[in-house]
Amino acid sequence: MKKILLSVLLSAPLWVLGQGFQVNLQGQKQIGMAGAGSALALDEASVFFNPGAVSFLEKNSVSAGVNPLLFKSAFQRTGSNVTEDVKNKIAPPFEFYAVWGPKSNRWKLGLGVYTPFGGLVDWGDNWSGKYTLTSLNLKAIYIQPTLSIKITDQIGIGAGFVYNHGDVNLQRALPVNFPDGRSGKVTLDGTGKGYGWNAGIYIKTLSDITFAIVHKSKVVTKLDGGSAEFDVPNSLRTSFPAGNTFNAELPLPATTTLGIGIPLSKSTSLAFDASWVQWHIYQDLSFDYATNTSALADTKSARNYRDGSSFKLGINHQASDKLALRAGVGYAFSPVQDGYVTPEAPDADRYILSAGAGYSFTSKFEVNASFFFEDVKSRKQKNIETGLDGTFKTLVYAPGISLTYKW
Amino acid sequence: MVGELQMRKYIINSFLAAVILFAAACKPEIDTAVGTSAGQANFSKYIAVGNSLTSGFADGGLYLEGQKVAYPNLVAAQMATVGGGSFTSPFFTDAQANGSGYLSLTALVNGTPTITPVLGNANRPGSSTLLTKYTGEVQNLGIPGMRVDLAFAAAFGAANPYLERLLTDTQVGTVSYFQFIQGRNHTFFSLWLGNNDALGYATNGGVTTDATNVLTDKSTFALLYSNLVNALTAGGQKGVVGTIPDVTAIPYFNTVTVAALLNAAKAINPAAAAIYIQTGTGTVRAATAEDLIRLPFQSAGLFGVPNASGLPYGLHPLNPIANNWVLDKDEIIKVKDYVVSYNSTIKSLADSKGLAIADTYSYLNQVKTGLVIQGVGINSAFITGGAFSLDGVHLTPRGNAVIANVFIDAINGKYGSNIPTVDITQYRGVKFPN
Repeated sequence: MKKILLSVLLSAPLWVLGQGFQVNLQGQKQIGMAGAGSALALDEASVFFNPGAVSFLEKNSVSAGVNPLLFKSAFQRTGSNVTEDVKNKIAPPFEFYAVWGPKSNRWKLGLGVYTPFGGLVDWGDNWSGKYTLTSLNLKAIYIQPTLSIKITDQIGIGAGFVYNHGDVNLQRALPVNFPDGRSGKVTLDGTGKGYGWNAGIYIKTLSDITFAIVHKSKVVTKLDGGSAEFDVPNSLRTSFPAGNTFNAELPLPATTTLGIGIPLSKSTSLAFDASWVQWHIYQDLSFDYATNTSALADTKSARNYRDGSSFKLGINHQASDKLALRAGVGYAFSPVQDGYVTPEAPDADRYILSAGAGYSFTSKFEVNASFFFEDVKSRKQKNIETGLDGTFKTLVYAPGISLTYKW
Repeated sequence: MVGELQMRKYIINSFLAAVILFAAACKPEIDTAVGTSAGQANFSKYIAVGNSLTSGFADGGLYLEGQKVAYPNLVAAQMATVGGGSFTSPFFTDAQANGSGYLSLTALVNGTPTITPVLGNANRPGSSTLLTKYTGEVQNLGIPGMRVDLAFAAAFGAANPYLERLLTDTQVGTVSYFQFIQGRNHTFFSLWLGNNDALGYATNGGVTTDATNVLTDKSTFALLYSNLVNALTAGGQKGVVGTIPDVTAIPYFNTVTVAALLNAAKAINPAAAAIYIQTGTGTVRAATAEDLIRLPFQSAGLFGVPNASGLPYGLHPLNPIANNWVLDKDEIIKVKDYVVSYNSTIKSLADSKGLAIADTYSYLNQVKTGLVIQGVGINSAFITGGAFSLDGVHLTPRGNAVIANVFIDAINGKYGSNIPTVDITQYRGVKFPN
């Protein structure tokens, strides 16, 4: 469930992993329902949403989808009348799932490859917060083999092992000037890995109301030997040696979800998910440089996250044999406390709205599309560490499409 | 099947088109009232009265790059959104951009800087001190070296090349700065003057040799400052005054420390036990951390050099560091007391006239301990602190931007205006050699 970060140096770096880094795009049908669906055995995306529901899937299937995401954030420095926008960059969250099991048996195997955490923000090289961050490109790709067993006709359990491959590239300007007046710059680039698990229980009551309890463990992702490249005037080179590397640790939090699925009619069902995201593990962000100098010490920046939570309600309506329509609303509480908001993840409480549709061309082939929108509340903040003082406002747009083959 | 494919295509295309339009239209908006109102003030013609800080003097000289980022110029640019007019400054031309000459950091080895002069190129032909005349409207009236007391001395116009270059030949020596700044039909003013009335004395080690390093009498200061304020508010104009920073808040007095000198001495002679200074009263004693040594001592080439008797300079009671290099503990107490008195005068006069007060005294004391603004650490360390230029007294462009915001905040607070503040990240600190 989480994410990554970095920061660094001289006076004050920053870092954050927030709801802002949490990507709620793991299954086209569920996305259309605002991300709810842990208590519905909807499709192969249950590998992520609830491994316990996988054994209740009727068919074997494989699917792949992508949700090009546009993270439109704006910043207005306190006291300024200028609004600065991030550059339009499309992040590519994707998901791939496969589920297979002998039809007559009570177990299924699953595989999920998805991107639960990530961030792509590029504020440009000369914005008013450039000394805190110019750009961040963060990707966490989880690979999750899964086994799900239907214990009874009412209860399924499942669990998967999670391997995380993380990539991060973080850049910021340094407040030291070249002879031509331009600022220095640091680029931190690294790859890391981490491990965790994802387990869930799916309960189908006699009234057909379904329940889910799912726990996704924390995934502490270690970045070892990332490159720390400092672009500084040569007279400062001894302070910022070339070829330096860093180690860092990114704690991606655990999430516990309770879900309910309610069939309203034969063709319509409602899903509700409440999630508790255990961000409190993210207390500080530390960078350990291989080579320290009087100007480049290891850093330890307080983050002091509290736990976050989200509430999502979605509806799935089978309009005809072939066409399904979906919609959802949600609300998420930010884990980032006042004073700790940063431009990598200008986080705040947010509203979620979504819509989706699915079309079955044949009994084997299905296309699903979704549109996901988040309205992150405006938040005026002065960061305790960097002094960056201003108002952030963010809107997130993510259309998506997936293809499914079932047999 | 064909129908289905077409339908699918149609659905997808419509969907994508809608998404693109929607996203493009729905940029996040942040509303603000900043930049819409001058409040009770009128910024249509702003003039800036002051000394080197007002002129943009930096790195030991007045040159074009510094002039362009002088805090009044930054303030004036921000005033434009709330009715501010044009703001003219006596810029050197591009061809004479080096102005009076300035200092440049040319090497930094193991933290030890090499500072090299860049020659001026604005000297008047045939003179090594006078500068190319500037004629025309001037609203940045900052004159390096100007003091409250000397603002009333017509003769200073002949002695000070920065004022001299702005005066006509007949005005030189006959028109005082006080007269020069009047009759300009201003609607708003800033007045940050008086620093040199204390600093001139301090930067000469507490030794008075002429009118530029005398400590201005407190009551004289109060009388003359009120004359300045009265003249500037004669037409009912509003304005902002700046308080005078504590002289010990600048790198000029905090870089060459007694401890650093002693460490340097011990590196050569481990037996070195103390640094000896001559105080303002003529006494010779061991220096303590409470005595401040002037920045230029670093490159004066005096320290440790034996005299005729073979006694190393500064390391023996019979060859102490001379009085003029040291602002000793008692001199510091004295100059601080004068600054407090000047500031008390400035504030009470400002209050009586309803003027805004940019309290640079308090602000630079905060800088001394260190501030972080928009991700930039700023403190009063020499070279690395970012706020002070290579002369250890005057501001870098970044320092000017920070001070401009102190003035803007004071103006907005007093008059209900909402002049946008300066984005300090657009301004540099010290340039490091490549």
